[in-house]
Amino acid sequence: MTQPGIAHGQIRPKRPLCLFRLVLSALSFQPSALFLLLSSLVFIILPCAADGAVSVTMQLDRKEATLADSVKMIISVAGARKSDAKPAVHGLETFHVTGGGTSSRLEIINGQVSAGIDFTYFIQPQRTGTFEIGPAEITIDGKVVRSNKETLKISPPSRISGAAQGPLFLTATLSPNQVYVEEQTIYTLKLFRQTRVSDISLALPEQEHLSFKQLGKPLEYQSVHSGQSYQVLEVRFAVTASSEGPYSIRPSTMNLTVYQPRTRSRRTPFDDPFFNDPFLSFSTGRPMALSSEPAHVEALPLPAQGRPADFSGLVGTFQLESKLEPTEIRAGESATLTVLLKGRGNVHRLPDLEMPELDHTKVYADQPVLEVETDQQGMGGSKTMKWALVPEKEGLYHIPPLTVSFFDTKIRQYRSIGTSPFSFSVLPGQEKERHVAADFGRSETTEGPVKLAVKELGRDILPVHTSVKDMEPALGAGPQGLLPWILLTAPFLVYGVAFCGKRLRKDSDKASALAKTKKAAGVLIKKCRKGELSSSDLGEAIRGYLNDRLGLSLGSLTPREAFEILQSRGVRPASSQRLQAFLQRLEDDVYSGRGQDVCHMGEDLPALVKEIDKEIR
Amino acid sequence: MRRFAAKDWLRFVGGTLGVFAVVYLLAASSEAETNGWEEVFFTANQAYKEGRFEEAIDRYGRLLDSGHRNGHLYYNLGNAHFRLNQIGRAILNYERAHLLLPRDADLKFSLGYARDQTQDAISQPKGFVETTFFWLHTMTLHEVFWGFAGLNLLFWAVLLVRLFRPSEWTFYASVILLVLWLIASASFGVKYFKEQTDDRAVILAEEVDVLAGPDTEDTLLFKLHEGAIVLLERSEDGWSLVSLPDNKRGWVKKETLEKINRVTS
Repeated sequence: MTQPGIAHGQIRPKRPLCLFRLVLSALSFQPSALFLLLSSLVFIILPCAADGAVSVTMQLDRKEATLADSVKMIISVAGARKSDAKPAVHGLETFHVTGGGTSSRLEIINGQVSAGIDFTYFIQPQRTGTFEIGPAEITIDGKVVRSNKETLKISPPSRISGAAQGPLFLTATLSPNQVYVEEQTIYTLKLFRQTRVSDISLALPEQEHLSFKQLGKPLEYQSVHSGQSYQVLEVRFAVTASSEGPYSIRPSTMNLTVYQPRTRSRRTPFDDPFFNDPFLSFSTGRPMALSSEPAHVEALPLPAQGRPADFSGLVGTFQLESKLEPTEIRAGESATLTVLLKGRGNVHRLPDLEMPELDHTKVYADQPVLEVETDQQGMGGSKTMKWALVPEKEGLYHIPPLTVSFFDTKIRQYRSIGTSPFSFSVLPGQEKERHVAADFGRSETTEGPVKLAVKELGRDILPVHTSVKDMEPALGAGPQGLLPWILLTAPFLVYGVAFCGKRLRKDSDKASALAKTKKAAGVLIKKCRKGELSSSDLGEAIRGYLNDRLGLSLGSLTPREAFEILQSRGVRPASSQRLQAFLQRLEDDVYSGRGQDVCHMGEDLPALVKEIDKEIR
Repeated sequence: MRRFAAKDWLRFVGGTLGVFAVVYLLAASSEAETNGWEEVFFTANQAYKEGRFEEAIDRYGRLLDSGHRNGHLYYNLGNAHFRLNQIGRAILNYERAHLLLPRDADLKFSLGYARDQTQDAISQPKGFVETTFFWLHTMTLHEVFWGFAGLNLLFWAVLLVRLFRPSEWTFYASVILLVLWLIASASFGVKYFKEQTDDRAVILAEEVDVLAGPDTEDTLLFKLHEGAIVLLERSEDGWSLVSLPDNKRGWVKKETLEKINRVTS
């Protein structure tokens, strides 16, 4: 129902001049009032600035309801803060509509300002069936904007056992009651309550071969049952049977704390309705366990007739989408084939499709991506599979269709669906072009063939080692036996011995020098007592004495030098002079040619030496 | 100087031939022995190739028991256990092989793959010593020892030269060698200590209950699975006290695990 000049679902209104007008007004005020105006200006400007593209969306809190329920419908207008009139909604002829109020909103998200109005309605169905509700039409600034449509399925109210009646009860329904193996059925638990409850926990019955998976978040709404209004909390589960047979699902148990107003025997000031607020602690809470009625389902075996050979156990309704990009490439480059298998059912059984081998083409499979989604209608999802195809030669390549088989629960028979056959043309690769370019003598940077990450297609251990060479006795073991330790300590010991030897030798040299010093006088006296020494020999013996006694190594020694040395070592001058004179006489003998004659000392040399020896420091 | 007489020549030739005969006999007996283990090795490899993994395990095990402590044998034994889906024993033998062949690429790959097959996520945090002496991870104790021994010899030799012929080059050489000697000696010490105190053990049973005490009635603390590597603290009365790097401790039955380092076990 589109009208000329109206874009479906959105219009762009005139820009208001409110901002400019407000600034002008502010300038005419006194400075003291300016601050107040500016601070409030923010709240006034923002909604003006927030006006933009207007759109309307309609939302129902459920897709399925019973005749006893009331469904919440919200019509949200984005991009405007007021409308010319209330929205008109098509398709509500068989519903009783109650207004739930209007609220305007202003949001600032990441600096983007958006304003909007929400119209809330509660609709109560008058008869069963599937109804299309919408679109909602709303006039803003003289332009009509339309919303989306929604589908609502209304079923008869569930039969509730007598025991379940009262201000608080739990019901369980299973729909449908007859399914095929691996087909999902919806198990719905509803908590009807007229009092406040908290701390709700649910214990699902455990049943072999049956698996439960919660669908979305619990819903909360109002419903009428047996003429009484209830607040309903609804939780849905997808139930799947893994093997055939009738199943009886035991009652589910819901544990919760129930709050009931405290009854008073007489009126007190606290009987005011204010104090009966259930959020205050004036009501008492008590734990309670509610049980639902049992539910029954029959799981039928999948028919053997017509079962395809490649059937992997997939049950539900599925579609296959595929695309190949690009369809024209060069040899060595890659094209990507993407296949999306999606639908409702046991999506965890979505198979990994296998790409057949293509001539002259390398195929690299990407890791399939499985996405599982749940909503109030059940479990669904998709699996995305990608292959990189790298042709080696030029030409036209054909990709055969990839097929998948499943049991379609809608038509209750097996189906096979496949991708469309694809073709792609391959031009000569870069190598040839580069060759041609080289021939023309042009220098240009050319890239090699497209590099693809090496993908691991499988893993295993590596083969055993069979070389006899490897079987030599292990060298990995640490030092064993005494020999390695001896080898380790031997260099140190050798060094130690050498060090000590050197040290000892040094000490021994010192000792021998000391001994020589001590014996020097004795040696000279002994020589003197032997007698018949020539002047030359005697001079040499005295020089040897002085060298040994004083630790010198003088080759020649004049009488004067001998005197000075003795003086420096603390010998009295008289003794030093006497030895000097004696040495002088000997030297005279030597220089006068009597050096080899027997020397007549004329001096008690041993006594003089003893005297000098004592005086030396 | 006395001249060699004919009698002396005969004695010399006879003695030489005698020595050659002894050497030949020794070599021949050694050869005969070598042929024995070679045959077992070949038949073990053949059994593995033909998928008779139990037989291969038996033969590789026999070679190891006879004193052929060799990393490649442990690796082959690990492979045979892996083929029989005995992940615990595979990891045990791979780890033993790793002590002897720390740089073997095949072993690293297979050990990594076998570790991926285990269930328990037990991280082996690297301590200060492991981080500081990072090169030790790629060397055997034998290699570290002989490296240190060589450096030790060089170091003391230079010091010895310096003792008698002090010179500038011996001074610098001895300072450099001293630094290297200290690093090598510390490396050897750390490696030796680590190998002597290597108390790692591998869980061989599929699933093991780790209890609070050495009694089946004690509280179940946690469970370990085949291939998990734990630290064996002590064993008593058929039970072993094990711990994990995150300080979890408990008792397991002794037969459910085996120590990696056979030298210290």
